[in-house]
Amino acid sequence: MELTFDQQVRNKVYELLLASGQLPSIAELSSNLSCATEEIRTSLRNLHAGKALVLMPESGEILMANPWSAVPTSYAVEAGGKSWWANCAWDALAIPAAMGVRGKMITSCACCGEAMTAEVESRQLLGGEGIVHIALPAKQWWNNIFFT
Amino acid sequence: MLLFRSEEHIELWCEQWHQSRGGTMSLDTCAKLAFDWYHDRLNPNGRRKTPEEAKGIFDALGLSGAFWSLT
Repeated sequence: MELTFDQQVRNKVYELLLASGQLPSIAELSSNLSCATEEIRTSLRNLHAGKALVLMPESGEILMANPWSAVPTSYAVEAGGKSWWANCAWDALAIPAAMGVRGKMITSCACCGEAMTAEVESRQLLGGEGIVHIALPAKQWWNNIFFT
Repeated sequence: MLLFRSEEHIELWCEQWHQSRGGTMSLDTCAKLAFDWYHDRLNPNGRRKTPEEAKGIFDALGLSGAFWSLT
């Protein structure tokens, strides 16, 4: 089945991310898909509305293509020979899973700042300790995904 | 979704930031959830999970009850 333009944009986002190590800008997507920036902006807004990714509120650039973050966070990840930013603890462990590789989360305790790491491969936690706290009930996550 | 060293540190964080205590899971469970939720994310035909699919993933990991309900 032929992919929709929004699906093509979504797939290009991840393709460029894996190639460069960074989530692409609107200009980069426009150049790579040989279309106008306004077409990309419209598609990204559609994907945002469908919760396929999250846009920055002012610029409209990509903020999150889960599990990746476009901006530095408290959750760094080493996987596939590159360093990445994740949106949260769940997403940090998900980047290696999405890539199909072994990976390492580098973070700190959200309460006291003590350094913490964890290594994962497939579904297995290879090393690391800690407890993940989810502040909001699941049905409220997308009310404010940045806080979540 | 933040990582803490211990239950005590979660309690302290909630107190410091005036937040109600939410749900928790072990890092081991989180690793399994991360894989089950995202292992197919880069599939070109990938799509958002339905509420039923999400519930199935949560239930299989023992993440059940009102807190984990998406509907």
